[in-house]
Amino acid sequence: MTSAIDLSCLSLHKSFRDFQAVQNVSFEIPRGSFFSILGPSGCGKTTLLRMLAGFLEPSSGEMKIKGRSMLGIPPNKRPVNMVFQHLALFPMMSVAENIAYGLKRRREKPDFIKRKVEDALERVGLPGIGDRDVSQLSGGQKQRIAIARCLVLEPDVLLLDEPLGALDLKLREHMKVELKKLQQAFGTTFIYITHDQSEAMVMSDQVAVMNKGRFEQVGSPQELYYHPKTPFVAGFVGENNRFSGKVSNVSVHIVQVKTDCGQTLYAQQREEQPLAEGMDVELFVRPEMIHLSRERVFADENDMTGRVENVLFDGGNSRLLVRVDGTGSEIQVVHPQTSEFTNIHAGDQLHLSWKAEQSHVFASNRKEATV
Amino acid sequence: MSLTERWLSGKRVALFLLLMPLLLYLFFLILLPHLEILNISLRERVSYGVYEFSLGNYQAFFTEPLYWRTFLRTAVMSVLTTAITLVVAFPIAWYIAKVAQGKSRSVLFLACLIPFWVSELVRTYGWMILLRETGVISSLLQTLGLVDGPVEMLYNDVTVMVGLVYTSMLFMVVPLVSTLDGLDDSLVEAAYDLGGNGWHALKEVVIPYAMPGIVSGCIVVFMLTLGNYLTPTLLGGKDSLWFTEQIFTQFITRFNWEQGSAFGILLLVLSSLMVWLGLKLSRQSFTEAMGR
Amino acid sequence: MIASIPQSRAFPRTYLAYVTVFFVFLMAPLLVVAVFSLNDSLFPSLPWQGFTLDWFLADTPERTGLFHDKRIMASIGVSLIVASCVAVLSVLLAISNAFLFERQSFRGKSLLYSLMLVPLVIPGVILGISVLAFGSNVANGLEDNYGIDLEFLRPGLTMVILGQFSFISTICTLVISARLRKFDIQLEEAALNLGASRFDVFRTITLPWLRPAIIGSVIVAFLMSFENFNTTLVLVGSDAPLTITMFDRMREGSTPVLNAVSLLLMVASGGLALLSIFVQRKQPGRG
Repeated sequence: MTSAIDLSCLSLHKSFRDFQAVQNVSFEIPRGSFFSILGPSGCGKTTLLRMLAGFLEPSSGEMKIKGRSMLGIPPNKRPVNMVFQHLALFPMMSVAENIAYGLKRRREKPDFIKRKVEDALERVGLPGIGDRDVSQLSGGQKQRIAIARCLVLEPDVLLLDEPLGALDLKLREHMKVELKKLQQAFGTTFIYITHDQSEAMVMSDQVAVMNKGRFEQVGSPQELYYHPKTPFVAGFVGENNRFSGKVSNVSVHIVQVKTDCGQTLYAQQREEQPLAEGMDVELFVRPEMIHLSRERVFADENDMTGRVENVLFDGGNSRLLVRVDGTGSEIQVVHPQTSEFTNIHAGDQLHLSWKAEQSHVFASNRKEATV
Repeated sequence: MSLTERWLSGKRVALFLLLMPLLLYLFFLILLPHLEILNISLRERVSYGVYEFSLGNYQAFFTEPLYWRTFLRTAVMSVLTTAITLVVAFPIAWYIAKVAQGKSRSVLFLACLIPFWVSELVRTYGWMILLRETGVISSLLQTLGLVDGPVEMLYNDVTVMVGLVYTSMLFMVVPLVSTLDGLDDSLVEAAYDLGGNGWHALKEVVIPYAMPGIVSGCIVVFMLTLGNYLTPTLLGGKDSLWFTEQIFTQFITRFNWEQGSAFGILLLVLSSLMVWLGLKLSRQSFTEAMGR
Repeated sequence: MIASIPQSRAFPRTYLAYVTVFFVFLMAPLLVVAVFSLNDSLFPSLPWQGFTLDWFLADTPERTGLFHDKRIMASIGVSLIVASCVAVLSVLLAISNAFLFERQSFRGKSLLYSLMLVPLVIPGVILGISVLAFGSNVANGLEDNYGIDLEFLRPGLTMVILGQFSFISTICTLVISARLRKFDIQLEEAALNLGASRFDVFRTITLPWLRPAIIGSVIVAFLMSFENFNTTLVLVGSDAPLTITMFDRMREGSTPVLNAVSLLLMVASGGLALLSIFVQRKQPGRG
């Protein structure tokens, strides 16, 4: 059903001279969903967003909003609005004038504008502050006004360019939830770009991980987390221990990997692009997926003992650095704050284990094989 | 036409439209007029409406002692005025930028500005009322019994200098305050901490830091002093011998535009030379020093 | 020195005394000019003869107050006209220049920028004589060759306006460019994004942002024109602006009417200056 798709892009390219900023990006966003584009700075996500807003023209490719091509349509004629990174609230106008700005450009009637502005302020939870100066608002209030200023125009798509970046940690956590709620309340399609994986994971229905101008993987936060398709996604989404090595044996579902420092680890065979013996690979396992025990349990394929080297205490996010016996490799493990493990100290002996399907293995990008 | 092409051509039209007024202005009000006086300065009137090329006007400058002496005197006194203004203004700028706090700071800064929103004529007139034979200071001195008769304090070089320094003050204080404002107190503290004394901190930290402000202040003050007319004429009287007076005399009284233009070119050369020298010595660029 | 630095006890006092003397030096000439405009005496000098407003209001054979002095009142009118024209012209060119230098990129931009600044380092006298000489040359050429007499190229108000405009516009350009440089281009993008046309963006976003700088430079240009002397003196024709009239009077010998004009000038320009500071201070988007 094409009508349920708000935005679709087909092999978008954008190059500046000989620099390829965006390469072959295609995606579709269903109506009313929260779509994030996640990537490190310089990955091309801002370029992509500016093309959607109409500030940049793609070098090639097609983009459609509700089935209508946006190519050649100037930014002020597009049914998209944007919340800028630094919000770009107009400092010489009051809050109400900021929200009314787009409506005035549409030459709506003054009493209609007034009603809409009041309604918008109500909906973002800031009723009655229309007369204030923008400079009198707090960071979180500014966010909401910037969003209200766009949503009052009822755009088909709302673009958000890392709007939480300037906020302090506490407020950012709060605004994540707030944004998600606003999106659900308005039912507008949000496209949110960020380099912060936690923002993307918490808020989004779908996340596209972008790297070097390409989409590495598009999927739900759970898919990205549990089934990363590329080493980049595995490394960028969530945290991971990473091992380089060679495939030493392949059975039906299990790949045996001999790491560079001599450890033998097991991972699930990849369905697409199966790995063969002798290939250079990278293996990832998340710190929170490693099972810790004082006694050896022999339940999982991956199993080793090690000595606690360092306790990185951070409340609920505490970690242990464990030096694996024999091989000397270092593994980061979540430090559970259960009674069994609270009194762990550096030097303690621990058993680590995890199932083969909890580690991910990818053919390595390494140019030359080192043993 | 694609969007990009349309946008590019729109951009080119905008550039053209914005460029036009500036080019017209530079061409007709700056470039051609100055070429014109250069041209006039290099000719001599043979008979009515007939001119020929000549260096006579410049020759006259070098052979007539009154001319080149006035020129030198103006240059030296302008340099001196610039130096004195700097020395007088620096502590004031420091006080405003670093010592005064909050409201008194902006009040002092405003107090520095206000006199200069009043015509130079009025300011000079004030000095005349203060300093002349029948003036306020003379009367006060007599009332106090410090002198027997009226004292004439106008029409001498010191008075001219006082007037020039006074008139230039703003143009030194403002750039100094704005650069010193940016000086981090901890730099000065560090200089002390590392064993320097006050003089060292000033020489090694403060002055190098304030250099851009000092240079732009000095250039502007020098320019304004060199080109000043009112102050030397009114405070210095008939014998003030200021070079701009010579130019005005040639143009207005004697109607000798050729000689006047030659003087104008010489003054322009002198001022350009000094500006260039100032920028070279301080390793500043012209746009940096002026664009503040 | 900075408060945190140890210093001898005499130092702050000496310093404070110096600053005080400086401000006395700064204010004294203005103060005496103002005070003597209110002295009931034929000469602006001591002793104090009592308070009077005669030098503003009187119209008797021996005393002609400022408001009845036809020549001075006429020259104030001339100055107002000149200053208004200079202010408008300068600010228009300055706005165009600001957009040229802050928003456009083209070859030779830095050279052009330096050229634009050059009038700041040309003495006013030279600007005056060069504009005068060029104007006369063009006028003569037109008259001799085509029989066209362009009166405005001869010394007179138009030439005064052009001469003053030639350097005041540079100062206005600096003021307006500085403000435009601080403008966040995202605001324009945001306005476009909210559906504004290019013209709307300029009218509703960019221009309001520049407004304090524009008002400020109108005031600066107006005051600079009003008090200009050097450039004006060579270019002036039969209608003399105020500074020229005052200069002539001063040479004839001073009367308290000159003090009265001066006081009027001080009050008016002081007021304008305060207004410009107030406007600059109220500008949005600081910090």
